[in-house]
Amino acid sequence: MKLTQLTKVLRRKNAGPSTLTLDLMFIDEPAYRMGTSSGTLSAAAIAGVYGIDPGGVRVVHFPEALAIKVSMARRVIAGSPGDRDVYGSQQHGPLLGIEL
Amino acid sequence: MNAIDRLRGQLCAGTHRRPLRVLCGSGQLGYGIPEKALQAGFEREPHFVGCDMGSIDPGPYYLGSGEMATSVDVTRRDLELVLLGSRRANIPLLIGTAGTAGSDLHLERVVQLVRNIAKAHDLHFNLAQIPADIAAEVVVEAIEGQRVRPLGHMPELTRDDALACKAIVGQMGVEPFQRALEEGADVIIAGRACDTAIFSAIPLMLGYAVGPSVHMAKIIECSSLCCVPGGGDAIMGTIEGETFILECMNPERIVTPMSAAAHSLYEEADPYVIHEPDGVVMLNDVRFEDLDGRCVRGSGAKWDASPVHTIKLEGAAYEGERVLLLAAAADPNVISSLDEILHALQERVAVTIGSANTVGYRLWFRKYGFDGVVDWPDQPKVSPREVFILGECVAATSQIASMVLGVAKQNLLHYGFEGRTTTAGNVAFPITPPEVKAGAAYRFRVFHVMDAPDMKALFPVIHEKL
Repeated sequence: MKLTQLTKVLRRKNAGPSTLTLDLMFIDEPAYRMGTSSGTLSAAAIAGVYGIDPGGVRVVHFPEALAIKVSMARRVIAGSPGDRDVYGSQQHGPLLGIEL
Repeated sequence: MNAIDRLRGQLCAGTHRRPLRVLCGSGQLGYGIPEKALQAGFEREPHFVGCDMGSIDPGPYYLGSGEMATSVDVTRRDLELVLLGSRRANIPLLIGTAGTAGSDLHLERVVQLVRNIAKAHDLHFNLAQIPADIAAEVVVEAIEGQRVRPLGHMPELTRDDALACKAIVGQMGVEPFQRALEEGADVIIAGRACDTAIFSAIPLMLGYAVGPSVHMAKIIECSSLCCVPGGGDAIMGTIEGETFILECMNPERIVTPMSAAAHSLYEEADPYVIHEPDGVVMLNDVRFEDLDGRCVRGSGAKWDASPVHTIKLEGAAYEGERVLLLAAAADPNVISSLDEILHALQERVAVTIGSANTVGYRLWFRKYGFDGVVDWPDQPKVSPREVFILGECVAATSQIASMVLGVAKQNLLHYGFEGRTTTAGNVAFPITPPEVKAGAAYRFRVFHVMDAPDMKALFPVIHEKL
C-alpha cells in the first residue's frame, strides 16, 4: 500500500534553519501500526530515499497523534544562497512513492 | 495600580489561583488578524492578550536587513486592533519578536507604530520595549569562554561568524517580560523572544503550575493552528489548577484531543520536549480530554528546571548582492541536454570573465521540472514537457553578478550541443531583461545556544509613558 493512502498529513518544515522535520500523520490506528512496524520508514530506509547519511536521520514515534516524525540535516542552511526551499515545506516529495 | 498587581488582586488568594484566561490575538501579527474572532476573544474578558510577531522561518534576509516581512499598513492595522482592545479592557498586552526577526531595527519600527496609534486614538499607558540584539563582542567572549554550543546541525561557532553578522539576536525567556511588568508596563513590545515566553510570563509570575502553563503557551502561540480546521483565529487558553483548556474564538473551528496533541509535532525535532531558557517541559505524560466537542482540557506536562540558563542566538551575515536569471525551455533536445548545457555554461562564464574564486562570484542553476525544489537522488521517469531555469548569482556587487548572468544568458541561448535544432535560441526568456536584481543576500551563520547567567544585562527594559 502506498504511504500516501495511509496518511492524512504529510508535511515537511524547518525545525530551525539547519534541520528539516517531516510529520507523517496516519489516518487511523491500523495504518499507524503498519507505518511503525514497517522497515521502509526506518532511519536507514529514509536516508536511502533521500540519498543522505543515515546517521543524520532521526525517527520518533508519536502515538498520541498517530504520527511518525522524521528529522534530518538540511544540506544548505535555510535561506542561504543556493537554497531551494527556505521553509523546507516541499521536501517530502521523495516519500510520496514509498510503499509499505 | 500596576497592571500585574491588578491581576494578582483578581486572581490570587493565598495559594489559591482562580482560572486565568489568556487570549492569543495572533500567532503572526502583521499578516491580517481575523477581526471577528479577536473581538469574540475580548468579549470573554481575558486577563491578558499576547501576540507573536515573528519567526526565524522566513529566512536570514529580515534579520540581516532589518526589513519586515509584513507590510507596514497591515502591521499597523493589526497593532491597532490589539492595542485598542487591550486598552479598552485595561489588561496587559505582550508582543514578542517584533517586526519579523526581533532585532533593534525591527523593534524601533514597531514601537514607532505603537506610538503613532496611541497618539491617533489618545491612548495613554506605560509602554515597555525590550531590545534583544546581542553585541558581537559578547558572543565572542562567550565563544572564548566555551559557553556557546551549536543547535541542530550547525557547525561550532567561530569568532569570524559572530563578527560577520549584521545583527545577532538572543531569544529572551519569561524573565525580561516579568521584569517589565513588575516595573509597571501595560504594553510590552519585545525583540526576539521565545514564543512561549509571551504567554507564560504572566501565569508563571502569578504562581500558576509551570508545566501546564508553558505547554499551553506552546500551543496557543500559533493561534488556531491546533484546531480542525487549522487557521489564524484568536484562541483562548484558560489555566485551571494543573490543567488548561483550549477554545478557538471562531465557532467554526474545534480543538480535538488529537489535534492538540499533534501540535507538539509542529516545527520541533522532538515532540516530547519544549526547551526554555531556564529548563525543559517534558510532554511524555500529557493527556488531552474532550470537554464538549469544541474544547479540550490538557494536563500532565512536567517542568524540569535547569541550573544553567541559556538563550538561543540567531545571527545573519551579509553574503553579497543577488541577481537572478529567468529562462525556460520546451524543446525536448534542449531539455534532455540541459545538464550538459548548464555545465558548459559555468565553464564559458569562467573563461570569459574569470573563475568564480578570482572574480568572487557564486552561480547556481535550478532546473524546475528536474530538481528545482528537491535535490532528488534520481532522474524523473518521464522527461518534463517544459522546464524552468532559475539562475542565481551572488557577488560582491550587483554589477559583477549581472555581468556573470549576462554572459551566462547569451551562452545559454546559443550554446551548440549534440543534436541541436534550436539554432535561433535554446531557451525562452519570459521577460526582458531576463536578469532581475534581487538585492542583498544573507546567510544564517549563528544558530547556537549561549549560557546566559545575567538576563538583565542581555535584555534591558526601556520604559516610556504614552
